[in-house]
Amino acid sequence: MNKTQFLAALRKELAGLPQEDIEQSIDFYGEMIDDRVEEGASEEEAVASLGSVREIAAGIIAETPLVKLVRARVKPQRRLRGGEIALLILGAPLWIPLLIAALAVIFAVYVSVFSIVISVGAVDVALFACGLGGILIAFTYSGALIFFFIGAALVLLGCAIFLVYGVRALFCVTLVWGKAILRGIKSFLVKGGKTV
Amino acid sequence: MDVQLKRGLLDICVLAAIRDEDSYGYQIIKDVKPFVEISESTLYPILRRLEGAGFLTVRTAEHSGRLRKYYHITETGILRLRAFTEEWKEMIAIYQFVSGEGKANE
Repeated sequence: MNKTQFLAALRKELAGLPQEDIEQSIDFYGEMIDDRVEEGASEEEAVASLGSVREIAAGIIAETPLVKLVRARVKPQRRLRGGEIALLILGAPLWIPLLIAALAVIFAVYVSVFSIVISVGAVDVALFACGLGGILIAFTYSGALIFFFIGAALVLLGCAIFLVYGVRALFCVTLVWGKAILRGIKSFLVKGGKTV
Repeated sequence: MDVQLKRGLLDICVLAAIRDEDSYGYQIIKDVKPFVEISESTLYPILRRLEGAGFLTVRTAEHSGRLRKYYHITETGILRLRAFTEEWKEMIAIYQFVSGEGKANE
């Protein structure tokens, strides 16, 4: 692949981004190729050392804030004809709320999953509290009941300590998922931009 | 060395690469590479972030018949580097404590 082909491919991958960001990226990578060529590399070698276009584009998209992507998506990429503007305005009440609704649903689902994790955490805290409380209460009884209560409290504390690891694992998994979902939404916005 | 730690140091290394004189993308990569692994695709977002944070400014200048972007460190950027070296003085003290090097001098 030579420089022109590489930059054209990159431009295509970035099609959903704001125009200004696309130009900036193209300038940067163009300059990188030129500098390597100046040092004696061939255009093909220079392009090959940059890595795959898809990975470069994915990196740029992941670094772009979500708000910027949505704004670029809503703003038309080129000057529209009269008929298209009319269609867009007529259609706007439909597709803008649909996009917002879709994002809201994803957000809501994520928040619900997160709240499950938080409630498991709350259960864990409650187990700890019951365990500690149980030991204190045990001493208000007499005879064998003391040992019964202390035993029961220790079982609760054991469960609580065990559950700490579960809560931590759940928390990490949810965070990783959250990041993956955000990346998915971003690349959907950009990839979707190409068809417009 | 820990990959996460090295990545965190990249911003600082890029600033250090332009501290003494303005530099351009490929030169920065060549200067930083001996110390921390860096590629074009990692440098690009770092430069944008540093520019957004006001640590550096960009100017375009002509170089052998084409345009090249040169990065210039700002006053804030220099302060950031200074803050980093101050922080790491503490780290070096901890290092000497951990490695036992400090004791040899006593």
